[in-house]
Amino acid sequence: MAEEIEKKAKVDVVVKFCINDHRDILVAILNRLDGRSLGVAACVCRQWRSLARHDWLWENICFPYVSPRPYDVRSVVTALGGYRRLYMVCLRPLLTGRNSERMRSNNNNRVWTRDEVQLSLSLFSIDYYERLGLSGGGASSMDSSSSYTSTSSLMFLCKAVNV
Amino acid sequence: MGPYNSDIPTGSSGSSSSDSSSCGRKGSDVDGFLAGAGYKVRSSDLRQVAQRLERLETFMINGPTDISQQLASETIHYNPSDLASWVDSLLSEVNHNQPLPVSSSDLSEFSSDFHCMEDLLPSPPFQQYSDLTDTWIDQTNPQPQQQQLTAAVAAAAAEEDSGIRLVHLLMTCAGSVQRGDVASAGSLIDDMQALLIQVNRSCGIGKVADYFIDALTRRLFSPPAVCADSILENEILYHHFYEACPYLKFAHFTANQAILEAFDGHDCVHVIDFNLMHGLQWPALIQALALRPGGPPFLRLTGIGPPSPDGRDSHREIGFKLAELARSVNVRFAFRGVAASRLDDVKPWMLKVGPTEVVAVNSIMQFHRLLSSEQSLETVLAWIRSLNPKIVTVVEQEANHNQAEFLDRFTEALYYYSTMFDSLESCTVQLEKTVAEMFIQREICNILCCEGPARVERHEPLVKWRERLGAAGFGPLHLGSNAFKQASMLLTLFSAEGYCVEENQGCLTLGWHSRPLIAASAWQAVPDTAITAAAAAPAPHPLPVPQSPLVVSN
Repeated sequence: MAEEIEKKAKVDVVVKFCINDHRDILVAILNRLDGRSLGVAACVCRQWRSLARHDWLWENICFPYVSPRPYDVRSVVTALGGYRRLYMVCLRPLLTGRNSERMRSNNNNRVWTRDEVQLSLSLFSIDYYERLGLSGGGASSMDSSSSYTSTSSLMFLCKAVNV
Repeated sequence: MGPYNSDIPTGSSGSSSSDSSSCGRKGSDVDGFLAGAGYKVRSSDLRQVAQRLERLETFMINGPTDISQQLASETIHYNPSDLASWVDSLLSEVNHNQPLPVSSSDLSEFSSDFHCMEDLLPSPPFQQYSDLTDTWIDQTNPQPQQQQLTAAVAAAAAEEDSGIRLVHLLMTCAGSVQRGDVASAGSLIDDMQALLIQVNRSCGIGKVADYFIDALTRRLFSPPAVCADSILENEILYHHFYEACPYLKFAHFTANQAILEAFDGHDCVHVIDFNLMHGLQWPALIQALALRPGGPPFLRLTGIGPPSPDGRDSHREIGFKLAELARSVNVRFAFRGVAASRLDDVKPWMLKVGPTEVVAVNSIMQFHRLLSSEQSLETVLAWIRSLNPKIVTVVEQEANHNQAEFLDRFTEALYYYSTMFDSLESCTVQLEKTVAEMFIQREICNILCCEGPARVERHEPLVKWRERLGAAGFGPLHLGSNAFKQASMLLTLFSAEGYCVEENQGCLTLGWHSRPLIAASAWQAVPDTAITAAAAAPAPHPLPVPQSPLVVSN
């Protein structure tokens, strides 16, 4: 009987701490996730989803370990659709595609060269340009709930693995 | 070794040949069809070889996987062209004693590429074999399964044979067309159509032959008006070709890199694009200029293109989109569209080049269209030269499709477009692939069916372009290692491994399996000798104005 009361007390203590009440801790944790984990986290609940959509969380995921750190890139990326879209449309296919073995060193801690950054941004700008045509000029004001299907010019990045 | 050794007694023609299926040769001579594929099997031994192949295959399908893998990868095959002893050596290694039941559906799973030893493992069934095995089966034969196996083996050899025969027929037909012998050309085309039925038309030589036979038919029997292209269709086809394979992307990215490097340090830049299409080349340049150290310049873009047939000002729309993009990334941008159906119609004053601007001229597969008359190209190159551009980027197909003799053009086109269709096989999005093939088909028809001014696809190889541009007063600019690196990186994004980028005296070529298909180069206006002489002499006053007048906008 005493054990049960003790257990119940312990359980109460655990239940009283809810990560959702501690937004700053939650954000600090999300800030350290890799792309896939952040995407998974966005599916947990509405609060996590709204937090995971902050673009600066995704900024750390795109091009980590580039030296020098490309801060100047931020304004351009934001203008073209944000880091989250950049990751979804351009970078994730590169990392998970057939050639990922060549492009990946251990796990996701690959080092991006400046040239690869430049190439990804070029492809991203083409994506933005094509979306301009599709939505009749509204692409620059697209909100975060837009779908992340690739525009036609970038479909080659999303091709199924063909062995 | 098994009971069957390589010294086959010569007198064993006997009864087995009457049962053996289709190849029909009696006696102990080597079977003709398999010999065509590189295998030496006597007709008399066909049945036993077929039986053993069957056993081997069923063992590999049903048996333990490690042994099958070992068979496929580690066994050493001595003299594999001697099919009989090879199969026996494999079987004896497997140490297989009793025959397993054979299902006839397995027989269709032999890959057509018998030369590849790894293909012993079953590969996806080829549908066309079922048609062929039906034609090969002798009703009198009491063992239909072996019949089918031998038939499948023979069918594969026959298909390769048909492919080679198709190529021979194509060349012969082209020769007849060149001589003007319509009758024999027509009958050859009928032969080829018959042969096409036996070959797989969805890939390889069958597909290429299909298009070339179509082009020959058009040349012989259709009026030349078929060469006229709809502009809107052209744009759609071009767009799909852009997506399906990397040639145009390579062209755009390499040209952009060269232009970016040429514009380094300048604040007022002007790009003249000879074929605007959808303007897909320019978002990447605008973005790269936005991020260049020192900030973006004022970019002016002049796009030349054919006027839209339905009155829509497509150039304006493209200009708006590009301006929107430039505005988002804070690049000052101005766009101007010039509608001209032919490049000769463009005059330099239409381009309104400013006096202090640095000019880049970009021609993606446009110069060859001017070659129907030498005068056109010279005129255009002269006025380009008069603009004093900092850089002229030229991308052209690396092929010699401008020869006067039809047969030479035909041969060259056959090899070039076979390679290109090969590379297109790697595209997995079916719609893009199909429409890209239509784009290529248009080129083929233009090269083969049209003559005179209607033939615009007059591709010439890089060496000839070097001569022409050198003669027109341009000197080569080497594309740097950055362009090469970027091109290589771009190719790693494509799923196929056959593409290769090569450097050729400062120019980059993209090819498929070491056959270059498209070449990108950069040029600059070589200063006139008058200027260099004046520059050498010490002059207290400013240098004289260059002799060719600069176009000044009013």
